[in-house]
Amino acid sequence: MTTGRQVYDPVAPEYSGPQQLRQSLDGLAGKVVGFIDNAKPNFNYLVDDLAELLVSKHGVERVVKRRKRGAGVPVPDAVMQELSDQCDAVITGSGD
Amino acid sequence: MVPHPFGIRNRDELRTIAGQCVEDIARQLQDPGSKSRAARASDKPAPRAELVEVPGDADELNQFFIERKWGDGLPIIAPTRERVARMLKHTNRAPDEVVATIAPAYRAATVELIAINAVAAGCRPEYLPVLIAAAEAVGAREFHLQSIQATTNPVAVWLVINGPIIEKLGVNYGNNCLGQGNWANATLGRALRLILQNIGGGLPGIMDKATQGQPGKYTFCCAENEAANPWEPLHVERGFAPGASTATVVGALGTWNMNTHAKDSKDLLRVIGDTMAFPVGSDYVNGGRPWIMLSPEHAHLLKREGLSKADVKRGLWDNSKLAAKRLSAKDFGRVQESRRAELGELTPDTMLPISLKSDDISIIVAGGPGTHSVYFPVSAHTRSTTREIILPG
Repeated sequence: MTTGRQVYDPVAPEYSGPQQLRQSLDGLAGKVVGFIDNAKPNFNYLVDDLAELLVSKHGVERVVKRRKRGAGVPVPDAVMQELSDQCDAVITGSGD
Repeated sequence: MVPHPFGIRNRDELRTIAGQCVEDIARQLQDPGSKSRAARASDKPAPRAELVEVPGDADELNQFFIERKWGDGLPIIAPTRERVARMLKHTNRAPDEVVATIAPAYRAATVELIAINAVAAGCRPEYLPVLIAAAEAVGAREFHLQSIQATTNPVAVWLVINGPIIEKLGVNYGNNCLGQGNWANATLGRALRLILQNIGGGLPGIMDKATQGQPGKYTFCCAENEAANPWEPLHVERGFAPGASTATVVGALGTWNMNTHAKDSKDLLRVIGDTMAFPVGSDYVNGGRPWIMLSPEHAHLLKREGLSKADVKRGLWDNSKLAAKRLSAKDFGRVQESRRAELGELTPDTMLPISLKSDDISIIVAGGPGTHSVYFPVSAHTRSTTREIILPG
């Protein structure tokens, strides 16, 4: 390698600016878990199975499921509000 | 993480996957590590870019960038302290100001990092304000960049420039405006791609999951041919002053040439609309937001017969309806689900509109002489976004 010069690294460093990060739960028993079904093929079945297992094996009180109109279409604000009002944690899927 | 492919699994396989996933989900929901991450979130300023030692030789420098996945596969211009400083003189904004956070990594596009990537792409210093506006636009919530950067779709971000800055910077709006040969078009589009990759984290094969992608992911920029546009230009239609300059970003799935010698508006709208209606287009699944670039010749034909831009949109919307029976059986079901509230129960004879309403079709006029207009499919995942380009006072 020839002796060098300096250039700027064009990649953005990690940034923990103003943003809200999730909090962990102190156990799952008695909690309400929400699922946003991303409408990708088969995700609805995966959500059904996960919901059953979270209730039967981990003591989750109930699961609230809401399905998006399409995978890339954002969840309506009213649904986001409904889930945040009811749930201790909300899970969604990404990709397919 | 569920391994791909997932959508073709049968019901028993899905139960097995759920059994494997549920413990991981339970563990992550209770992961105390997330509390410490939350505690670190703050309003502290974004970190400044770092200078790194690189080889002095141009070939070795490019190899250095390639090995670190800092480029797009083409040779780069070294973003030296001097070049970046020269570019930063073309804005009043502070180098450490965060213009936007760029999905999917949601890292900070500071003015300085935008300038660094602009230099690397070969931009002239005076191009910086355009890229600041473009970064604001791709970071806007309605643009939904997450759905563009991490998808299997071939979507590229097309940058459209309007206003007096077109002539000032020499952005091509005429012959071959989507092709090669113009410095501003080539490097502005390329710089935006580097911003999406180096700041947003859209690395091919890692976060960028495009099945094939498209050439527009190298560079994709042009201006509107405002002088040849018989209606109001895009930025005025969107509420900006005629003297303002703007950057508009569009999540375009590709470009589709439409060559027709149609000689009346009815015939022209019919054949363009018919071209837009193809059964494997993403637009019809959720209702899209397609774009049309009319050639000056086609635009003048439509205007000559008294049509407004809104009339043209309505005509295209009417003529681009797709018979539901042309969809694959699986896609028929997807559309049934995603558009039930809008269209009710589908039958094979239902005529599907390409978008929820005709105004969701966007139109610009660009190009030189010729009978070629262009169709840009744009799925409903993203809404094109316009921001004003602010020049230093």
